Amino acid sequence: MTSATVTIPRERAPARHHLLSRRHREWGLAYLLLLPALVVFGVFTFYPFLKNFKLALYQNPPYPGLPMHYVGFHQVTSVLSSTSFHQSLVSTLLYVLMVVPVGLLGGLLLALAAHKAIRGMPVFRTIFSSTVVSSVAVAAVVFGTLMDPVVGLLPWLGIDPHPAILQNPTWALPAVSLIAIWQFLGLSFIIMTAGLQSLPDEILEAARLDGAGGWAMFWRVTVPLVSPTLFFGLVVGTIYAFQSFGQIDILIGPQNSQFTHTNVLLYYVYQALSIQNDPGVAAVLSIVLFAILLVFTLAQLRFLERRVTYAGN
Amino acid sequence: MRHLRSRAVAVVAPLGALALLLAACSSSGSPSTTSGAAAATDATTCSPASLSGSAPVTINFWESMPRANGQTLQTLTDAFNGSQSKVHVNLVVQTNYNDTWQKYQAGLTNGQLPDVVQLQDTDTQGAIDTQSMQPAQNCIAGFHYSVGDLLPRALAYWNVGNVQEAMPFAVSGPVLYYNKLAFQKAGLDPNTPPATLTQLVADAQKLKAAGQGIMGLKLDPWYLETELATANELFVNNANGRTSRASKAVFDTATGTQVFSDLNQMVSTGAAGTNSVAGADSYDNLLGVGSGKYAMTIDTSAALGTVEQLLSQYPNVQLGVAPLPTVQTTPSGGVQPGGSALWVVKKSTPAKQSAAWQYITFLDSTSSQATWSAGTGYIPLRTSAAESATIQNLWATSPQFKVAYTQLTTGVETPASAGAVLGPFDDVRTAIVNAENSMFARGVAPATALTRAQAASDALITAYNRRIGG
Amino acid sequence: MPATELAAPPAPPVVAGVPGPAAPPPRRRHRRARLVLRYVLLSVGAVAILFPLYMAVVNSLLAPSQIAHQPPPFFPFHPQWGSYRKAWTDGDLGIYLRNSAIQTSVIVAGQLVTSILAAYAFAFLEFPLKRTLFIVFLMTLMIPFEVTIATNLATVSSLGWFNTFPGLTVPFLATGFGTFLLRQAFLQIPRDLREAAQLDGYGHLRFLWSVAIPLVRPALAALGVFSFLGAWNQYLWPLLVTGNDNSVRTVQIGLKQLINTQLDQINVSLAGTVIAVVPLLVILVVFQKQLVRSLTSGAVK
Repeated sequence: MTSATVTIPRERAPARHHLLSRRHREWGLAYLLLLPALVVFGVFTFYPFLKNFKLALYQNPPYPGLPMHYVGFHQVTSVLSSTSFHQSLVSTLLYVLMVVPVGLLGGLLLALAAHKAIRGMPVFRTIFSSTVVSSVAVAAVVFGTLMDPVVGLLPWLGIDPHPAILQNPTWALPAVSLIAIWQFLGLSFIIMTAGLQSLPDEILEAARLDGAGGWAMFWRVTVPLVSPTLFFGLVVGTIYAFQSFGQIDILIGPQNSQFTHTNVLLYYVYQALSIQNDPGVAAVLSIVLFAILLVFTLAQLRFLERRVTYAGN
Repeated sequence: MRHLRSRAVAVVAPLGALALLLAACSSSGSPSTTSGAAAATDATTCSPASLSGSAPVTINFWESMPRANGQTLQTLTDAFNGSQSKVHVNLVVQTNYNDTWQKYQAGLTNGQLPDVVQLQDTDTQGAIDTQSMQPAQNCIAGFHYSVGDLLPRALAYWNVGNVQEAMPFAVSGPVLYYNKLAFQKAGLDPNTPPATLTQLVADAQKLKAAGQGIMGLKLDPWYLETELATANELFVNNANGRTSRASKAVFDTATGTQVFSDLNQMVSTGAAGTNSVAGADSYDNLLGVGSGKYAMTIDTSAALGTVEQLLSQYPNVQLGVAPLPTVQTTPSGGVQPGGSALWVVKKSTPAKQSAAWQYITFLDSTSSQATWSAGTGYIPLRTSAAESATIQNLWATSPQFKVAYTQLTTGVETPASAGAVLGPFDDVRTAIVNAENSMFARGVAPATALTRAQAASDALITAYNRRIGG
Repeated sequence: MPATELAAPPAPPVVAGVPGPAAPPPRRRHRRARLVLRYVLLSVGAVAILFPLYMAVVNSLLAPSQIAHQPPPFFPFHPQWGSYRKAWTDGDLGIYLRNSAIQTSVIVAGQLVTSILAAYAFAFLEFPLKRTLFIVFLMTLMIPFEVTIATNLATVSSLGWFNTFPGLTVPFLATGFGTFLLRQAFLQIPRDLREAAQLDGYGHLRFLWSVAIPLVRPALAALGVFSFLGAWNQYLWPLLVTGNDNSVRTVQIGLKQLINTQLDQINVSLAGTVIAVVPLLVILVVFQKQLVRSLTSGAVK
């Protein structure tokens, strides 16, 4: 089966010497096909990312429409050494540490419970995945009502902190984390289920029948077997946690986020950009956010690359 | 894998350099604002002459009034539109004051600006600093407008550096809402509500002891400012930012400490419950009066209509309204105005600016103010409006609507009672609320909390001024 | 449904071959108990997950005075459906849903088109700088959108796209992830098919349209659902780019406005929330398989 014996009717002269040879037309076609995506990427991904490095060096007046001033690295150092930045980093770290492990564990447990072909299982599976479609706004409004000190569930449960839970410097971040965990459970469940489905069931069954029960089985057999999937979930979950924004904006708001220690890095970027009208500070923070996320996005890239067979296959 | 990496570097480097170069070469910032559209001197921009053309002028008004008040505003606007054919006003409803201010600032970049905008009190210095507003003073001069009948303190709030920057419109004051029945059951005289902070604390504790509810302390940031104003003390330097730009906060005084102490005493002894000023629970202090959780609360007089409607459903509540309890037994200052004013946007054409001024003067006219005040509970801003039949009837049948007006017209007119003007007002207020919360939630001593708040405020003001001047 | 699941533990004969404790006599009861336990665990999980949404529905059907009642009511005995009508009309939810539908359709269509085109180029064409451009696409996965908002906002504003559908949608019309997903799918197409098409005189575009696209429909569906979810649930960008009026405000921002303006009407804001999430739940039920496929690309070796 060769192409040497088959000639395409259109082709005439040898490719090398013909200006509009098939190869050249193929190149043109390829660039044309790539052009739309490249234009979008160029304008809306690469250019803004790189412009951050320039914006970081300019100080901005409090309101738009007025000129900005070059201050060199002064702005960078003052932002990075400010207490609000440090607080923001701490809040972000705590937030990620609360959301991702609990979300992954919850997803794994649900996936394990659902990993059996019994009656009604598809319904349970759909329910467990359902939070993946809820938006931050929906989750925020729904949970915000539940956590409201007057109309919510907390007084009935005997929980009545002062100040109220969503204005409380100690409890606001865990509260917001809880919302994110609930949202993340759907995705986590889906990922863990996929991971479990790729496991050799015979090993699981054999281990269970072998007398290894309960937690021992869980920790010494199941978890190691799904660890690649757990790792993927960790990467995806961390990126997801860093992109959290909506619940904090809706439930706490830019005025209170610093005080309640819910000023995660992305929210700080939004505040700097939109509330303080300071694209310079926003750019500095964006670069920091990028640097932190780089580790995780590179890891995610590796997972994707494994499934991506390289060009020239 | 390694091949991919080295390829990546080979790609990133030149691409990166190219894009950096592009970014560096692009314009270094937005052009500074100069008086855009053809305008002679500012004095003649806003004048009857600019409106003398034949075509009718349509202007956009960004207003931030919640639903009920918004309807009153719509009625007034319809009347204005219907009474003449020169100017047509479109009402654009914003969600709230903060959103209006955010959208206005966004509009400075994307060009979507109104012709006249309602901005809240704390955004005054900010509005001036955007260099995009036409000072009302110029329109007053251009139209030979007389401001004598307007309430002096309301005007004074928006007078900065001897220039009337904006015209007050929806002005309110803090009042004490209380449940007369609860007072009665606790052994307090329902007709002598607490007039001082000390009395407020004492009454709250009595009410708590009698199980008749406690004080609903909404964490409004302006308790400190307003109490200082009633004691004729400044909030920031340079005559509250009115003779020249404020450069530091000056509220760490004995009076300030007393305010913090009194608030703290109520909360720490459980005689007051707190809720936040924005967000899902911002109505909880008022809802709580209905449910019996609270026996009294301090809130804006502008909410009076809503409050009456809400609490009329509860048989256990008989609403009383009293002036804000002050620090001093005999206040030496006066309660500052609060609320919002109307600003003319300089970026509009002279015709639109003048049209905006026509509309503003209509809204501030005697009959409009009478209608507006009666329909919303805001303070009538003209003495003649207060004396009108509409308002006199209202006050006769419902004297609680007069409380805020009396409060605003009592006391002395000084920079202290006019209120403070500063750039980073919202952030300073946040610092003060944070300080209050540090007292309530973490047991910080009132004096310490106040000092920290002042230090934080100084830093904020310095940073803001640096961004302005530098 | 995956084929690797077992229906039930194997019968005793299998167990007998495995060294360990002898099978206990009341095996069936033990198995039954475990099954019941599993159902209990599943139910607990389901209740925990559904509870917030359930309470939202309950509260949306209560009158405002009932909502503040303590202990909180768990069932609306006299459902007040008026809150839904109010959320739709006063809360403009109908308009927001329309805007979200437009915004999401444009983004999904755009992402599908640009990904198909780019994936085709990477999968079937040879051209200079192919590897370089491939890396460029990879690099876009390393730059999260949040890192670009500062300049994107300025770009969109200066193009006059603030508070317009182009402003909402154009920055998202291409996706590296989608390109890779579809490239993967295209690469599964047997070479024979491609060569046979060439023999029949199919040019690239005709091949793409008539052969390749139909063959990768599952991947297209997966990408479509994934893009749909991402676009529908966007919050940060619509917040930055939509303005004062309703003309392009999406459902997510609309919900935020609803909760701000109706603070004393919690039932209405919850009704709005329920309205906003129902289309998505429908999508979940209908397209669960595609959704799972796109979310787990990378999870399974």
